[in-house]
Amino acid sequence: MSLVRTGALSLLALGGGAAIMQWTTSSSLLGMLTQAVIYAIFALGVGVLLKQNGLVSFGHALYFGAAGYGMGIILALDWMPAELAILLILLAIGVLAFLIGLVIVRVPGIAFGMLTLAIGQMVYLLATRARGLTGGADGLSIHWPATLFGFPQAMLLKPATLFMIAWSVMVLVTFVLLWLLRTRFGAITEAIRDNEERARFIGITTTLPRAAVYALSAMVTGVACLLSALNTGFVSPENLHWSVSAITLLMVVIGGFKTALGPIVGAIIYVLFKDFLGAYATHSMAIFGAALIVVIVFSPDGIVGGVQRLLKGERPTKRTLQ
Amino acid sequence: MNSYVLQAQDLAVHYGGVKALDGVGITLEKGQIHGLIGPNGAGKSTVIDAITGRRKLTRGTVLLDGEDVSHMGAVERRMRGLSRSFQRTSIFGGMAVRRQVELASYKMGVADSAGDAGAVLKELDLDRLGQTIAEDLGYGEQRRLDLALALVGRPKLLMLDEPMAGLSVQESQDLARHLKALTARWEVSVLLVEHDMDVVFGISDVVTVFELGRVIASGEPASVRANPRVREAYLGSAA
Amino acid sequence: MLTINLFNGLVYGSLLIVMSSGLALIYGLRRVVNFAHGALYMLGAYIGFSVAQHSNFWVALVAAPAAMALVGVLLDRYGFRLLQERDPLNVMLVTFGLLLILEDLVAFIWGKGNYSLFTPELLNFSVTLFGHDLPAYRIGVIVMGALVALGLTLWLRFSRIGLFVRAASTDPITTAMQGVNTDVLSAGVVGLGSALAGLAGVVAAPFLSLSPHMSSDVLIDSFVVVVIGGLGSLAGAFVAALLLGMMQAVGAVYLPEVSVLLPFIFMIAMLIWKPSGLAGSRT
Repeated sequence: MSLVRTGALSLLALGGGAAIMQWTTSSSLLGMLTQAVIYAIFALGVGVLLKQNGLVSFGHALYFGAAGYGMGIILALDWMPAELAILLILLAIGVLAFLIGLVIVRVPGIAFGMLTLAIGQMVYLLATRARGLTGGADGLSIHWPATLFGFPQAMLLKPATLFMIAWSVMVLVTFVLLWLLRTRFGAITEAIRDNEERARFIGITTTLPRAAVYALSAMVTGVACLLSALNTGFVSPENLHWSVSAITLLMVVIGGFKTALGPIVGAIIYVLFKDFLGAYATHSMAIFGAALIVVIVFSPDGIVGGVQRLLKGERPTKRTLQ
Repeated sequence: MNSYVLQAQDLAVHYGGVKALDGVGITLEKGQIHGLIGPNGAGKSTVIDAITGRRKLTRGTVLLDGEDVSHMGAVERRMRGLSRSFQRTSIFGGMAVRRQVELASYKMGVADSAGDAGAVLKELDLDRLGQTIAEDLGYGEQRRLDLALALVGRPKLLMLDEPMAGLSVQESQDLARHLKALTARWEVSVLLVEHDMDVVFGISDVVTVFELGRVIASGEPASVRANPRVREAYLGSAA
Repeated sequence: MLTINLFNGLVYGSLLIVMSSGLALIYGLRRVVNFAHGALYMLGAYIGFSVAQHSNFWVALVAAPAAMALVGVLLDRYGFRLLQERDPLNVMLVTFGLLLILEDLVAFIWGKGNYSLFTPELLNFSVTLFGHDLPAYRIGVIVMGALVALGLTLWLRFSRIGLFVRAASTDPITTAMQGVNTDVLSAGVVGLGSALAGLAGVVAAPFLSLSPHMSSDVLIDSFVVVVIGGLGSLAGAFVAALLLGMMQAVGAVYLPEVSVLLPFIFMIAMLIWKPSGLAGSRT
């Protein structure tokens, strides 16, 4: 898809968001949609790692929580204006993830998944215990200032505004990712993912680009967390638990990891479906577990992938995650 | 003094009790096509692996234009103009043909990578398939893509590991002609491992014969062909 | 105090031996990191609980692992076997989906409350050792752990089937070519591994309470053990299990902050340095 077309579609999506905002009168529905969009951004982060590097991370909740805690601590200590803090946190996450990435992207397949699981759990345990810094298991309240980027808090925290902010960020992030992945950088990481050995034999050093993708995915996840922090005003160790990473992975796989749309679809389905289930909501995890199994067995590139193939008139093929 | 583009000396590759290569030497001059033949398991692929850095050397040195690259990784050797194709097709399945060939060219530092890629694709009859995803190509087309990835970027030295494997007689002959033309035009030196004797003896300037990890004959095609030791290695008895 | 802590560490370590040996066996043969293993442990505990309610602990001790063995065989036959050509990551995610389903199933059948299983009468006394009163039941757990470890080691080393298992773990294709029915073998091993998880569950029930969340806690620890010990290596898992159990128990008192992190630090270091693990030689 050309840059112009991507840009046009993005503008259209923004318009769509505005329409949704206008027409949805129920604030609880808007709240739920905002939640869905935040998860969608988180899922985009996990998804881009899977798509470009072919790596499955069970520990991305680390960056999700870290951004929130970072924000909470900085605001509590009143080190700098919130606007600057946002920028700094995202940058810090990027750098940290890049350094971590340099070490861990060399680890292949399942071992990488286990590694991210271990790192994530370790940070989770640290957060539960460091009562002084993080408030321990009770979590941390995030005291946003009276105005953010010039807008008063009261206006920002209205459901409609929050939704529009989240939606716009999602469209922006998607656009940036799509653009980045069309560049040479995207080609390099795809080559590494497809055939690491041959990539080296055409002159590509394989660690740096993959660490960069890892850092990118971490930053996207961090963005999602900052939005979540704005939405709820709160962050807790539960945000860091491995089950959060695993569930997001679920969204990505069910939605489809090969396109930017997949994780978004997966996240929206997850949040809305839970509400839809009503009485059966307690069984939602089992249903998603079953959906995950069905998708992996019959349509590994997810719902979006399946739909794409249907539209192209092809029969479903058994292709694997790699 | 050293006019060789490639000088491999006393190469040995031992692993797990197997001596895949046991003291082998090969030289290549500029613009030369050097054919490498021998029975299966003789060590032909291994010598390419050793020269390109895919396998670790137990012993020996590899000199590229006089520079010792024996301890360098594959990436560094490629950047010095050493390029190779693979016996078992090794391409980027999820990427479009043109995109990956251009990438390979770009990585070699070619200023006009699009043009370079285009030329190579045209030379190998892949230009009409530029937008096709690699894994959707036919077998022969994939073999040519594997070759294209090695050819872009104006390499100095090309190691081809059974490029004709699985190709029809016609396709093999076409490919042989392409190779001869390309090497003449770009002054690329080629080490060609092949089973097809006609092809090898047809286009090579020099032929070396391997058996059990050692060189048993080397020289001009005609004399190698007539060598009784070579005939014995292939036919199992003095023929 | 230290003795009591070491003792408790040994108890938990023994439990982990049983859990992780099951995981290691399944990984060795099917190359699957089985997320559902924690659920099998939990199911074993709950089934054991229900059986014990209607008869006694000892019947449950046999019934629960047997039931889990059946589940394991079905899991292999209709799950792992059909997915064996797929990327191991895919299969791992499938086992995760299974974990979610099983957790919900348990909550559905037994409810979300916490249950307790009482220590069987026969072992409800204390033994005085090293100057301390140690519960006989917990000593029993340690003995069981040792028996399992010994039994598995001897079985793999000296029995014919054990030989096949070791061969199939190293090279499934050649083993199959030699006439060993690797599918039946795999079903058997996965059944055994699942039975071990169920056994661990029943045995743990008297001293760890039952809840729908019990699968997660033990699962992570089991992963840590199996990775540090070397994916697929039993001996390594045994050592790592004991170390982990004791590290946690002793550390909880003396170095609470660090002790929880230590296992993960080891696991991380292990995975970075040698993705194939300490004692295991295959990736």
